[in-house]
Amino acid sequence: MLGYIIQRLLQAALVMLAMSALVFVGVYAIGNPIDVLISPDATQDIREAAIRHYGLDLPLWQQYLAFLGRLLRGDLGTSFVLNIPVTDLVFSRLPATLELALASVLIGAFIGIPLGVYAGYRPESPLSRGIMAFSVLGFSVPTFWIGLILILTFAVNLDWLPAGDRGPTVEVLGVGWSFLTWEGLQFLLLPALNLSLFKLAMMIRLSRAGTREVMLSDTVKFARAAGLSELTILRRHVLRLISIPLVTVFGLEFGSTLAFAVVTETIFSWPGVGKLIIDSITSLDRPVMVGYLVLVAFLFVTINLVVDLTYALLDPRLRRGGRAA
Amino acid sequence: MSALLEVAQLRTHFLTRAGVVKAVEGVSFTLERGEILGLVGESGSGKSVTGFSLIGLVDPPGRIVSGSIRFDGQELVGLAPDRMRALRGKRIAMVFQDPAATLNPVLTIGAQMALAVQAHGGGSERAARDLAARTLTRVGIPDAAARLDAYPHEFSGGMRQRVAIATALLHGPELIIADEPTTALDVSIQAQILAEMKQLAKQSGTALIWISHDLATVSSLADRVLVMYAGRIVESGPVASVLRAPLHPYTRGLLDSLPAMARPGEKLNQIPGSTPSLLSLPPGCPFAPRCPRATDICRSDPPVVTQPGRMALCHHPLEMAAA
Repeated sequence: MLGYIIQRLLQAALVMLAMSALVFVGVYAIGNPIDVLISPDATQDIREAAIRHYGLDLPLWQQYLAFLGRLLRGDLGTSFVLNIPVTDLVFSRLPATLELALASVLIGAFIGIPLGVYAGYRPESPLSRGIMAFSVLGFSVPTFWIGLILILTFAVNLDWLPAGDRGPTVEVLGVGWSFLTWEGLQFLLLPALNLSLFKLAMMIRLSRAGTREVMLSDTVKFARAAGLSELTILRRHVLRLISIPLVTVFGLEFGSTLAFAVVTETIFSWPGVGKLIIDSITSLDRPVMVGYLVLVAFLFVTINLVVDLTYALLDPRLRRGGRAA
Repeated sequence: MSALLEVAQLRTHFLTRAGVVKAVEGVSFTLERGEILGLVGESGSGKSVTGFSLIGLVDPPGRIVSGSIRFDGQELVGLAPDRMRALRGKRIAMVFQDPAATLNPVLTIGAQMALAVQAHGGGSERAARDLAARTLTRVGIPDAAARLDAYPHEFSGGMRQRVAIATALLHGPELIIADEPTTALDVSIQAQILAEMKQLAKQSGTALIWISHDLATVSSLADRVLVMYAGRIVESGPVASVLRAPLHPYTRGLLDSLPAMARPGEKLNQIPGSTPSLLSLPPGCPFAPRCPRATDICRSDPPVVTQPGRMALCHHPLEMAAA
């Protein structure tokens, strides 16, 4: 098991290296940030001084190596536009997004999996058909539209929940969190619901497909022959057997929501990282873009690692080097 | 004391899009306490569906359309699902063909067996594991208490089937239905499991219905044999006399196709053709199109031919002709 983890960590490091190079070159190709940074009527001297100051006169590979060197020390550079370290910038926004993404994925899992298992267990029942129709809706209706409808319904017409912004937060470990107070939760609910819809639909579909398949298996027949109740079979046998694809999707969705909750964050003016990346792209703020993308890559690699380790936890057959017959 | 199991005119049909598949069509038999009954037939003869009908686990779109299954005097056809579940695993247990598929790969065998124990009257986790370990020891798994925390893939095929058998034995059932439990195993393991099952059944007075396509396996194990064809029992009787002098031409055909019965160097006789589609059975005797003795009369329903302790469903039974 330890060898497996070390092997996976090495793989992760390689992925990170490749990713940082791709991002760096990609962003380099987008355009020259100097045109955005200083006014067009600045003198040639000022212009060249600025270029030297940001190290933009060096060849690409030198710039990249310098970037890598700083990266290893945990320094993602300083924003061209705001003149704040990128790390500070991202970490001041990340908790808000982290909270939102986690809330939406959890809603998706805790509501989606039971609904999906039921739909797979009783595929012909009217309720199951309703659940499936709902999941089609979750897939096909655009997020921004759902967001607007949610605001219109619950904030404007019913006036139950706030329409946007983050509201009050509670400081824990030097970071502000919304989910710890009732009021903060109210602010979190609508955007989280909005983001969770797609994940809900996905979890429903996956757990339904898995359940349908497992219900026909000899494992379930044998459990029935032993006199287990249907509920016990679903909870103890089926749920465990369908869990691997669910964990995969849970991880991937969590990662992509963290990185790309842009639309929802914009609609609900949620002060997360999505908003940050959009701003940095429009101002060609290269360090922020590169730093953010490298961070996102890091998050994905970490999440995938955790998912793979969870597999081993869920399916004993994947525990290499474990006890063997 | 009445018989443990009395099945009368059991009919289990599958209502499919293509039509009604009459998988079990008028099956009747009785089973005494502690008796070992072999249920033999080719694939699609309805032997497995008969087994699943008895334990109330016919998958939709199949269902028991008529007939009666009396278990220890209690009617099982139409019994409430909850009461049927209370019987399953407790008084009637079942073992399946492929232990790799029946055991849950992601749960330890201790956890799976504990679930089976607690399905009938709970008790503590610890007591459940104790019972599981004792039962595993009974079926010949060494160091059972330590093996409870192992997963199915850590056992060999034969050991896995022993775990499945132990799960069936947990509550000391009066009837075990074994659906080809040795087919997926190595030949040497087959013989072992067969002998052990026979011994366990005799020791505990458990009745056993052994479903198999293999007449040779059944002959070494069972007291009595039922031969099924196209959803019907075409012949039944004590194993020895059925093997020595089959009444039905189909049984004869099955016997002739056994390598053990043939002389070395001689070509094996196989039954021409294959099992008919249950969707479009010929009128009369379903075996007639493949039968060497068939005549025009076989297009009408065959009569029941009886001898003491024996029965066959045929217009032209073999022994009658000889007699």
